[in-house]
Amino acid sequence: MQQSILRDLGILLGIFGLIWLGASLFSFYPEDPQLLSIEREQKLGDAYVDLVLLNPMFQELENEKIDSSIQVIGDRLSGGLNQSEFDYRFIVFDSEMINAFTLPGGNILISTGLIGFSESPEELAAVIAHEMGHVEERHVVARLIKELGIEILTSGDPYVLGEVTGMLTSTRFDRKQEEEADLFACHLLEDSNIEPRTLATVFRRLEQETGNELLEHFEIISTHPNFRSRIRDVLSYLPEDDFTVEPFTMDWEEIKSGL
Amino acid sequence: MKYHPIPQPDEIEVRVREDAMGAYLMMFATAALGLPLPILNLVAAIVYYYVNRDKGKFVQFHMLQSLYSQIPVTLLNSGLVAWTIVNFVRDFNFTSIYWGYLIMTGVAGLVYLIFSIVGAVKARKGLFYYFIFFGKIAYHQVYRIRPEQTGSTPSNQPPGL
Ligand SMILES: [Zn+2]
Repeated sequence: MQQSILRDLGILLGIFGLIWLGASLFSFYPEDPQLLSIEREQKLGDAYVDLVLLNPMFQELENEKIDSSIQVIGDRLSGGLNQSEFDYRFIVFDSEMINAFTLPGGNILISTGLIGFSESPEELAAVIAHEMGHVEERHVVARLIKELGIEILTSGDPYVLGEVTGMLTSTRFDRKQEEEADLFACHLLEDSNIEPRTLATVFRRLEQETGNELLEHFEIISTHPNFRSRIRDVLSYLPEDDFTVEPFTMDWEEIKSGL
Repeated sequence: MKYHPIPQPDEIEVRVREDAMGAYLMMFATAALGLPLPILNLVAAIVYYYVNRDKGKFVQFHMLQSLYSQIPVTLLNSGLVAWTIVNFVRDFNFTSIYWGYLIMTGVAGLVYLIFSIVGAVKARKGLFYYFIFFGKIAYHQVYRIRPEQTGSTPSNQPPGL
């Protein structure tokens, strides 16, 4: 009697467990970034970058000194990644807006306004590390698939592509995604020998700028007014005991004076 | 373990059959009410059980089977309501695990519904109908012959001299 009851229970739990599992795995879920392979994301990303840079608001900056210092920061962070399927590209665009955002395929755009706002290369690195978090966690693609659907996102139609590009420059993330990107940034900064809690400094300074119109499009403050909890989370991040800081050797003020 | 014999259809009065059928139909009456608060269904089922408890083993069996099979469905539904509210209040993060759970809960509800209808029809005909797992538990609980209670009457013993 007891055995047969237990067997029945096992059958029931098994069937419904499988239904749950099966329905969860089945990719009917419209936000699943897995719907877009990374290779495809990279290809799409290249197309989006070309289109975004055509927009006069996002003119690519031609300044060798700045490009090379951004490259130094970017290389340091890329070197801190354990492994990545993305080829990162860091693009500086000429705009007084304090802004940085991520296009699909590991393309991170940084405004000259943000460079000017950053008081040290470490502060800029903290923002870039946060953006790299959105790339590695595939938040950009997840967001786009959620908002537009996979068909529109991968549409070859130039008009649709142009519209999507317009949306990409003002993508907002939700609180969970922001927290994930923050945590990712802390780990990445630590692995890149940069003080992870610099990110909290950036948040504090951004919070003090509340109301500044130049910040209007900056995705990192998507969760406003939740800054305090993010600052708290970052400050409570504890690096490993053997963590050492390796400061950037560039003359930041000199570089900024070339803006 | 020993069990009381179960009655054959011609031994069960119509009135008893109807009370047994009511145990299943009860759910449909409260289903609409209980949609936002699934726990209400369960409360109604428990009340129905206590009201009709003395109407014989056949009715008891069907009431318990209906009641027991409703518990997991109620828990799943409550979980779904809670999970949905949490998602709405927090960050709209409807994960695929959530959607999978939603589908599973829907399937469970549907299976429960179908079995309840069949159960009601069979009960009306004076038949037993055993749900997987729950039917066996209900049968065991209602028809098991409980061992005679011994030692329940106190007896006096002289002191050890
Ligand atoms: Zn962000």
